[in-house]
Amino acid sequence: MDLFLQTLIAGLLKGGLYALIGTGMTLIMGVMGIINLAHGQLMMVAMYLTYSAYALLGLDPYLSLFISMPVIFILGMLIQKYLLNPLVHTETILPENQVLMTVGIGMVLTEVMRFIFTSDYKSVKTAYSNATYFIGEISFSVPLMINFLIAIGVTLLLFWFLIKTDMGRSIRATAQDKEAAALMGVNPERTTYITFGLGAALVAAAGTLLVPIFYLYPDIGGPFTRRAFVICILGGLGSTVGAIFGGVTLGLVEAFAATYIAMEFEEMAGLVIFIMVLLFLPGGFKRLTGV
Amino acid sequence: MKKTGLLKLFFIPLMALAMIWPHSSQAADPVKVGVVLPVTGKFAKFGEIEKLSFEMAQEEINAKGGVNGRPLHFLIEDTTSKPDVGRSAAEKLISMDRVVMLGGGYSSSVTAAVAGVAINKSFPFLVNTGSADIITKPTAHTPSGRKASKLKKGLKEETDAGKIADIKKKITKLEARANKEVGRIMPRFRIFRLNPPVSEYASGLESFLADVVKPKSVAILHENSLFGTKGAAAFEKSAKKLGIQVLLKESYDSGAVDFKPLLAKVKQADPELIYMVSYVLDASLLMSQSMELRMNPKLFVGGGAGFTMPEFMSNTGKAGEKVISATLWHESLPLPGAREYFDKFKAAYDRDTEYHGAEAYAAAYVIADVLKRAKSFSKEDITASLAATDMMTVFGPVKFTSYDGKINQNKLETYVVQWQDGALKMIWPKDLANAPYAYPVNWLEERK
Repeated sequence: MDLFLQTLIAGLLKGGLYALIGTGMTLIMGVMGIINLAHGQLMMVAMYLTYSAYALLGLDPYLSLFISMPVIFILGMLIQKYLLNPLVHTETILPENQVLMTVGIGMVLTEVMRFIFTSDYKSVKTAYSNATYFIGEISFSVPLMINFLIAIGVTLLLFWFLIKTDMGRSIRATAQDKEAAALMGVNPERTTYITFGLGAALVAAAGTLLVPIFYLYPDIGGPFTRRAFVICILGGLGSTVGAIFGGVTLGLVEAFAATYIAMEFEEMAGLVIFIMVLLFLPGGFKRLTGV
Repeated sequence: MKKTGLLKLFFIPLMALAMIWPHSSQAADPVKVGVVLPVTGKFAKFGEIEKLSFEMAQEEINAKGGVNGRPLHFLIEDTTSKPDVGRSAAEKLISMDRVVMLGGGYSSSVTAAVAGVAINKSFPFLVNTGSADIITKPTAHTPSGRKASKLKKGLKEETDAGKIADIKKKITKLEARANKEVGRIMPRFRIFRLNPPVSEYASGLESFLADVVKPKSVAILHENSLFGTKGAAAFEKSAKKLGIQVLLKESYDSGAVDFKPLLAKVKQADPELIYMVSYVLDASLLMSQSMELRMNPKLFVGGGAGFTMPEFMSNTGKAGEKVISATLWHESLPLPGAREYFDKFKAAYDRDTEYHGAEAYAAAYVIADVLKRAKSFSKEDITASLAATDMMTVFGPVKFTSYDGKINQNKLETYVVQWQDGALKMIWPKDLANAPYAYPVNWLEERK
């Protein structure tokens, strides 16, 4: 029973972070209709920002949220404005040229970070990196719990923003029907920048939260882009609520596969679920929840 | 017209002479040796410690006159910790830089790839760290030999008598064919290895376990790389020999964020011993997360590699304290120059060194010695000189022998170390130890 509970906790806590990563990607997907394949790489840049703030200024990784989120938000806006939006009006053979562009952006980000920091693994060890709290025999990692709470906080903030503010309403309107939103006076261009910036800032938060418990190197983005994509498909394209479910599901599936099958099959189990959802529940959890 | 003809008559030989001149008489022309190391990438920490040791040795060797008056130059090529890059690095060193021999070789998978290039080009290659047994086993470099060993593995699980006889017949056939193939590649097989193979890493540990710990059960965790898999398989054999029951043998993919599900499973199996074969960052994560789970076996043991690195301690902190590891070297060993090397490295680079550095440092001296004795710098003469090596280094005696299907393999003792108060202490064998072993350990008390 302890083993089951311990796995459940591990999966849930990891799932919280995954949800944050997935929400950012799904937001971008919902409004712009593109898959941002540079998502994990943006997270990697945020991790390096956090690392640098710690190494140079001695700043606590959690405080770095106030640096990494705005910086990556602006980076995301600039990417959308100067790299992705111009492509909308360009005639090409492939209609998905924006997606191809994000692949390129991801590569550039990785190589720039490799140029600055080399491929070496870096890590940040804080006093609380390995702090744990016990209930009976079940261990709760303190940094993972803080991460989980911050992830929930950030997500609630996002919902408040999407539901209550004018900008949030414009984003939702654009996601539902671009033309109609434009007719109602929403500035579609500006909405896209803000959305990409928001999505990037969310994944930046996830990256910063990972720093105290993990390590970083320039190629770390790829696996997380893949996970973000799986989460979006699980949750249903463009559904923020779905992405939260998708993230937690992926975390749980990985944890249970590691415990009850083999650690080697951790990632494989995630991909099996991905295929199952595509086959039996196309549209993902969005179909069940309707949000 | 005649004048120009005359001019040509003088000019051409002069030009020809000018072209030959620097090559034939420049005594200070350096002797270039290619060294393949992971300077960046996931093995960068190991590559760094070896690179610095090679450079330190190069300086010392050249200060003492280099190779018969010519300076020795180690051309270090980055493998970025990847086998494919390692291959092209080796090819570049051999065909573009025209090095006289190859050295280095960190991590089994990359070294095996580089060894393939060396065999293809019949090039002499002195391996100093890559430790999978197959690297110095000629049969493992032939397709039939690989097939035969795969069948042999399958044989152990087979129970049907008819099938066993069938497989055995196939194996003999394959082995005969492998022998023929080995005959074909042998003239090109010029790989020598300074360090012991991974199957012997735990030999020193075996006697420690048998005499002191006497564990009844073990869980083996390893990375699913060549080094990890072979190291785990070798320890499984040792365990069988010592009568230790293997409760669990699990591999993982390097780069996992959370080892807790795996560790929780180990905790439930409740082994007396946890044996891990990991590179440095996974080793740190494994230890710190096992602390988070309050695991309390009799002993945490590492199979060398990540567990002896200074970065293991700096990344793990309290959770790494009292962890035991197999090792190939320690500065307190009664080897000529071992302590001097350690102190000099510490003074020069302001950090600790350990067995990987000593391997590289010793390899540099072996290479210098080999080149000094070689009749010429042709591949054949260097190989002959390598085979005749018999010298003492900081890493121990170096003399290449053949045993258990391995050839040109240096046979060495292995030892056991323990992290005590943040420093790596030699604890076994007893007559060589520089600190008493701390055992039994209450891990929960230890990590409060």
